[in-house]
Amino acid sequence: MAFTITCPVCGPRDGYEFRFGGEDKGPRPEAADLTPAAWCDYVHMADSRPGVQKEWWVHRQGCGAWFTIHRDTVANQEVSLNLLEAAE
Amino acid sequence: MLGRFKRLWDAKPMKTHYDAVIIGGGLHGLATAYFLARNHGLTDVAVIEKRYIGFGAAGRNTAIVRANQRTQENLPLYKEALDLWPVLTRELDFNLMFYNCGNLNLAHSEAALKAMRLQVASAQFQGIDSRLLDAKECRELVPALDISDRPRYPIFGGMFHPPGGIVRHDAVVWGLARGAAKRGVHIHQGTSATGIGVEGGKAAWVDTDRGRIRTPRVLNAAGAYSAGLANRFLGQRLPISVLTIQAMVTQPLKPLLHHVVSSGAYHCYANQTLKGEIATGAHMDPWPNYTTQTTAHYIKHQAEAVTEFLPCLKGLKFMRTWGGLADMTPDMAPIMDGHSPAEGYYLDCGWGYFGFKSSTVTGKYMAQYMATGECPEILKPFALKRFEEHRLMGETAALVDYTANN
Ligand SMILES: Cc1cc2nc3c(=O)[nH]c(=O)nc-3n(C[C@H](O)[C@H](O)[C@H](O)COP(=O)(O)OP(=O)(O)OC[C@H]3O[C@@H](n4cnc5c(N)ncnc54)[C@H](O)[C@@H]3O)c2cc1C
Repeated sequence: MAFTITCPVCGPRDGYEFRFGGEDKGPRPEAADLTPAAWCDYVHMADSRPGVQKEWWVHRQGCGAWFTIHRDTVANQEVSLNLLEAAE
Repeated sequence: MLGRFKRLWDAKPMKTHYDAVIIGGGLHGLATAYFLARNHGLTDVAVIEKRYIGFGAAGRNTAIVRANQRTQENLPLYKEALDLWPVLTRELDFNLMFYNCGNLNLAHSEAALKAMRLQVASAQFQGIDSRLLDAKECRELVPALDISDRPRYPIFGGMFHPPGGIVRHDAVVWGLARGAAKRGVHIHQGTSATGIGVEGGKAAWVDTDRGRIRTPRVLNAAGAYSAGLANRFLGQRLPISVLTIQAMVTQPLKPLLHHVVSSGAYHCYANQTLKGEIATGAHMDPWPNYTTQTTAHYIKHQAEAVTEFLPCLKGLKFMRTWGGLADMTPDMAPIMDGHSPAEGYYLDCGWGYFGFKSSTVTGKYMAQYMATGECPEILKPFALKRFEEHRLMGETAALVDYTANN
């Protein structure tokens, strides 16, 4: 399974150079009025979507950059956002 | 010859109403169906399976069974499951090929031995046979082990669990399916659940690609697919990462390994199958994905790891490799829950790479939950609420997360 991820700094590289950083859940919730349920949702819960999701990666064995990509979890392939938008 | 064999069960036409619908024809779904019929007289039950029974992790796992878990909540469940294999073999009249060869888990540091000491004491407290061995005793048990200083992580000792071993996973799938079907359960293969309907806060139907089934009870037992289904059908979010786990077998050898040997430090376990192959696995690609593909990366890792502590395996060829899905939770303990977000909706998932050994007993208690509507005491600690209440279980020494921190 050839798995390539495109680092915004280094370009397309072997997937094993990167570390997964979680589903993109938006900004960290504000501490004020934070309920246990909302915090739990942010920390632990996920959509586990079979299909395209937006997610964080870090180029750990490379330049160290953090960035988001869109990936199809069923094909395990990065998908270009332009293509996605064109399809919508 | 072939003509002499009869089908294990007959396909029945799908009805538009059942007393209970189970999504997923894996071990957990079939075991629950079996016990609903056997213990509670609930025989008007449908198991909906998208592909064929055993297509998922039920037919892909490496079949290791043991009961030497870490926590007081988990230990009794796994003990009961381990004690159930001989009973079920008789009851189902199906040879489940339980080979209780015992499991040896290696420690490669003083710290690992210390952690094992606690784990051994916890198991013994529950009446489970588990012992600490020093390196020489490990070698007496498994002469092929290299206990010298040569390996990168030398062997300091190990945890030996005599009652564990290997069970033939396909046999469990088929035995449970036949046992359930005999009691009236309908198994619908090639049928995909496409939605769950809720009316007035209660589960009311399951949509499938072959039509709608009305039912007051729905169990989501779709293994690694259950988190995605829960999200799509009910908007339920779960603390689950779905990862691909790989396993492989070597060419067959004469008998040389009479126990399951595992090593946390090397991320590796190995046992010799009854056909003589060395079956080995353990590692996972640490990012969510729904493929069951295998990678050269892990074939290499596995070869390097297993030959570190079993150097006599060097030069062997792998014959087959395969992958399956594991739905991992942060505390390496499953989620068993009910009545949320809808009354009559039940959930049994998060079994990661350890849900074969416990599948039968889980089915027994999930069946009790579904038949009575009341959560059995033994399942209560596994509720989803534990994540919100910061009561995560200690089945792993540290939180597992499949993010860059790990
Ligand atoms: C490589 C590997 C090694 C493992 N090793 C061990 C081990 O040594 N010991 C151990 O205890 N555990 C092990 N496990 C874990 C164990 O196999 C699983 O935890 C367990 O099988 C999961 O429960 P299940 O059998 O019910 O799930 P599955 O068998 O995955 O069943 C889920 C079923 O749901 C079906 N499904 C999915 N979507 C739908 C839908 N929309 N409609 C209808 N049906 C659907 C699927 O087709 C599948 O058949 C291993 C797992 C893997 C992958």
